[in-house]
Formats: sequence, C-alpha cells, structure tokens
Amino acid sequence: MKLQLVGCSHHASSVSVRERLAFTPQQVEEALAQLRVRFPQTEAVLLSTCNRVELYTATEDASLAPSHHEVAEFMATYHGLQLFDVFDDLFERTGEDAVLHLFTVAAGLDSMVLGEPQILSQVKQAYDLACERNSAGPLTHSVFQAAIRTAKRVTRETEISRKRVSIPSVAVADLACQFFERFDDKRVLVIGAGEMGQETLRYLADVGVRDVVVVNRNLERAERLAEEWNGRAAPWERLLNELAEADLVVSTTGADRPIVTLEDYRRVEEARYQRPLFILDLAIPRDFDPAIEEHGLNVYLYSIDDLQQACERNRKEREKELPKALKIVEEEAAAFMADLNRRATGPIIHRLKQGMQQPKEDELRRLFNKLPELTDRERAEIERSFDRLINKLLHPPLESLRDESQNGSPHALLDALKRLFQLKD
Amino acid sequence: MLGKITITCFAASYLVALLLELSRLLFRSGIRGVVMLGFAAAGFIAHTLFLAYRWFSERDAFTSEFEWYLLAAWVLAAVYLYLVCYHPKNPIGLFTLPLVLILVLVAQFWASRTPFAKTAGLNGYVASAHGTFQLLGTVAAAVGFICGAMYLIQAWRLKHKKIVPQQGLRLPTLEWLQRTASRAITMSGIMLLCGFLSGAFLSRLKYGEVRWSDPVVWASSALAAWMVAAGAFNLFYKPARQGRKVAYLTLATFGMVSITLAALVLDPHHGGKQGPQADEPDEPKAIRAGGAE
Repeated sequence: MKLQLVGCSHHASSVSVRERLAFTPQQVEEALAQLRVRFPQTEAVLLSTCNRVELYTATEDASLAPSHHEVAEFMATYHGLQLFDVFDDLFERTGEDAVLHLFTVAAGLDSMVLGEPQILSQVKQAYDLACERNSAGPLTHSVFQAAIRTAKRVTRETEISRKRVSIPSVAVADLACQFFERFDDKRVLVIGAGEMGQETLRYLADVGVRDVVVVNRNLERAERLAEEWNGRAAPWERLLNELAEADLVVSTTGADRPIVTLEDYRRVEEARYQRPLFILDLAIPRDFDPAIEEHGLNVYLYSIDDLQQACERNRKEREKELPKALKIVEEEAAAFMADLNRRATGPIIHRLKQGMQQPKEDELRRLFNKLPELTDRERAEIERSFDRLINKLLHPPLESLRDESQNGSPHALLDALKRLFQLKD
Repeated sequence: MLGKITITCFAASYLVALLLELSRLLFRSGIRGVVMLGFAAAGFIAHTLFLAYRWFSERDAFTSEFEWYLLAAWVLAAVYLYLVCYHPKNPIGLFTLPLVLILVLVAQFWASRTPFAKTAGLNGYVASAHGTFQLLGTVAAAVGFICGAMYLIQAWRLKHKKIVPQQGLRLPTLEWLQRTASRAITMSGIMLLCGFLSGAFLSRLKYGEVRWSDPVVWASSALAAWMVAAGAFNLFYKPARQGRKVAYLTLATFGMVSITLAALVLDPHHGGKQGPQADEPDEPKAIRAGGAE
C-alpha cells in the first residue's frame, strides 16, 4: 500500500511556477482520465488552487505505484513543460507524511492566510471531482474523508477560522455586524468603483444587503457596478443627498484629497437629523475629512488603517491557536495511520483464521466418525472447544500484529506470518 | 414544601448567574451558558413559586410594597431570561441581574410589609390598576436603562475603534439597542403616565382630592411631567429619536423612576399605611421576612 503526494505550493514555489502547473477544473478531469490510462492500478485526486498544485496518488500494491519522477513528469508533460524546469519545485511526501500534509492543508494550516476556510471547500471539490471521474478508490476515500473530518474538528475546537483577516471581511463581519441587526432594509452607498468596494459589497450581499447606490465621477462605471449588484447609480452631484439617505457608506475613490469635508458633513448631518452613519473609508488618501469624526457624535468613520489594525490583531489571534490546531491534526493523522495499518493486516488475519478452519473441520469429522454415539449437544460442545483452542492459539500472533500496526505498517511481521503459516495471496 | 422557599433561594440563584456572567470577562467556556441559564431559570422558578404560594395562601397577598417589589424583580427576571435566549452570546445579565437583585434587596430590607389600606369595589380595581401600571412602567424603564447603558458602552467602543470586542463583552448591535431602548421608553412613559393618572383618580376617590402633602405624589408628578416633556421632545425634535439621545433619555427616565421608588420606600404613609410603627403585622398570617409561611 502506498500513498504519495507530488506537488508545489506557495511555500517554495513562485507564482510563475504555480501558474504554469495549475489545472483548471476541465483540465483536472482530463488529467485524471489520462492518469487512469497510464497508471490503471492507481487512485488519484488532483488539488489545484492559486496557492498549490498537489497530486495525491494511492496504490494497494506499492510496487505498482508511480514514482516521484513519473508523477512529476506527468504533470510537466501535461502542461507542455520540460521536467527539469519544474522538478525542483515539486516536493514529494509519502505515507504518514502525505496524510499529515493533506490534513494540514484541509484545515487551512498550510495556507498563505493561516486558517482560511476556502481551502476546505477546494479540497472537497477536488475529492468530489475525483469520485465523479472514478479516479478515487478505497484509500483516497478514507484519507480525504478523514482530512475533511479533521478540518471540521479544527474549526470546531479552535478559534483559528473565526477571526477574519481580510479588510472587507473584517469591515462587514466584525464591524458592520456590531452596528446593524439586519441588512436587508439598509441602504448602502458605494462611492467610487474600486476593487475594495466591490469586494466589500460581496460580503455585504452575503449578509443580506439589497439596496445599493453607487456614486462615481464616471456615471457609466457607476451604472455598470450598480447593475452588477441590482442597485442604482447616482450622479456625482448628488453625493451629499445620497449621504443623507444612506445607512452605511463604502468609499473607495482614487481622489487625491477628501471628497467630503467637515462643512459638507455638517449639512449632511442636519439632513439626517443626527441619525447615526457608519462610514468605511477604504480609500488612500482618505475620502472623508478626519475632522468629521471628531465633530459628529453620530458618525462612525473607519479608515483602512483602523481596519488593518483589527486584521493584524486577528492574525495574531489565529497564530496563537496554531499549536492547538496542529496537535489535533497530528492526533488525527496518527489515528488514521493506525487504523490504516490495522486494516492492512485484515486480509492476513482473515487468511490465517481460514487456514485453521480446514484442519479443524477434518479433525472433527474424523472424531465424530470414531464416536458415532455422541449426541448433537456433545458434538456442539466439542466443536466449541476446538474453536476456543484455535482462538487461543491465534491470540498471541494477532495481538503482536495489532501492537505492531500501531507504530507503522507491520511488513516484517506480515511476511513472517505468511511464511510461517504458508499463507498464499 | 413550597412554604420553605425563601428569598435567599432565588436571590442566591440570580447571584450565581450574575457571577457566571462576570466570568465571561475572564475566560471562555463551552458549558457556562447552559449552567448560567440553569441557575437563572432555577432562580426564576423558585421566585415564581414563592410569589404563587403567597398568592394562594395569603389573604392579603400583593397588598404591600414588599410583594410589589418582588413582583417587579420577577418581571425583570423574566425579561432577562427572554433576552438571554434571544442573545445568548451577549452578557445581558451583567446589566439586568444587578437590577433584579437590587429590587429583591429593597424588598427584603427596606420595603414596607404593611399592607396598603384595604379598599373594595371601584377603589380596589383602581388601586390594582395603579399598582400594575407603576410596576410595568418601572420594569420598562429598567429595560430602557439597561439598553441605554449598553448602547452607550457599545457606541463608545465603536467610536474609539475597538473593533474586536474584549473577551466576553460582545454587546448586541447598536440598531437593536436603540430600537429596544426606544420601545422601552415609550412603553414606560405610557405605563407611568397611566399609573400617575390612576393614582390621582384613586386619591380623589378615597380622599376627595389629590394629597399633595404626600412626597410620593410629588415625585410621581415630577416623573409624569418628565415623561410628558420627554414625549413632546421626542415628537417634535426628530434628533431626539436617534442614537445617543435615546440612550440619555432612558438613563434620565430611570433616574426619575428611582427617585419615585425611593420616595415610596421612605414614605410611611403612602397608600394609607399606618406608619413605621405599624410595620409589624398584627395578623398571624402576615408575611415574615425572608420567607412565606
């Protein structure tokens, strides 16, 4: 039995290498089909994300497993690359190391952003795709299902995924959710059509925002963005009017000076009857004059620096949870390997027990022929005695096998048993 | 069996629940929420049984300040249990349970156990309505105060960019706090005004006039005037309905209610009581401090 992983990740490979080796979902399907043809006895799951490309292979018979070189060559050839161009970037893990690596990856502990949850769904997708293409098998089923279970346990028992670390996610999940009970009745004003604004809108849409107004100097761009979010665009001249109506403002213009001054805001505040306003000023330089916050009691103005501090704090909190998460992963990997090794001894144990059955039955038949006067009850009792004897004889070797499988695959012991008891495959 | 339930039973349960709420500030725990809810619910059940026993066993049940304070504490504890189920992650008990315990303490140590003067017929109904309105108004003012205080803390934190709440001090959203405080203050205003008017009506029925010599009447009048002024301010000045102003209004209203309650505790004659010397009950079935027998 051989479990192997060959791949590259953000730890040791540059973006350019990862880009060249990356697989699109269609390519994954195609690659799995090609692998099946080239290595028919091998199960395979291919995980390809922007931060890693990893090909997991598993074979019941280790002698039929593809080597590190063969897998690397397959990956390079698929992308029309020379093997020597990428070989140094492609690391290899086998056996328990491969299991530990997969568990660590699935739990987000190997990610660029520690504890990020998307990787788990990417692992699930990769596994599902392999199942659909019939490229997964008993070994990959058990290792991937165990990896998913481990990732869920890490999420459940540690705080590692709970603290958000990107500015838009902190802005919405950690901040806006402390202001508003619900979002479906709130008006969100987006000033500018910057990428950060769009990313924030994505998170806001997830929490239920429906009423979006986009104000941009270029009305056409505003209309395009508004259309994307089922909102409406407003001309730049109506900025202050829209501010008076909004509940939440996301500002991301590229202006080189504040677009809303203290004087402007005084007029807005009057029109709002001092209704509290939550502003996310994600622009650099800032779109809102910082004096606004000092002036207005009912305005909560957050700049990118304020959010950055929260992200940094959350990042540190996640790092604090890392040892606990790693301990869970190690525990689960060790338990999985012990279970796997125990399962590997199953066929030998089965054959060993079967091997004892035939002599037992022969002996019983001879005995019963010699003693025909035995009643059915006596025969049954004798039969049970024979069974007990076999169990007692087999107990010490099986116990040793079980103990040995706790510390790794008991190859030597299995070989010895095969030879001693003449067990044939 | 039920007669053995004492104030100490439920006050101790509420106190343990409060200590568990306080421990939220120090460390995280998976089962604390359930244990805390268990203690609060046990206290509430004991409190309910205590009051129910008095209702069924006392001839003059719910005719003294002592019982009305305990009843107010009971309603507030019910509100706490509702809120803690609605917002299990927020330390609402830190703000609610101290008020529950204060009401229980006031009942135990300071509130008169002398029944109010017995009244029958229309007077009796008006007296009951007066007490009920005052009780509901007081509890609503307390809820408004709790939400107002939480609003101010939450607003201060968000204003000072404390985005990630400190351990265990995750408060409800500003929107919910403002809405609940606003509703509580409206409810409290209506109830207290009705309480004042029914009290004035009762006074006229009993004495043919409103007894302005009674300090409780003075304090209630001031409270009613405050509620009318606050209502008018709210109606005609739109910013008063927004943000911190609502919170300030709830704090001020609760202050006024507290003054009225203090006047009630200190005044030995309100409601036709016989004065401090009459506090010791004559009737054998009267209430004994700390328990219902």
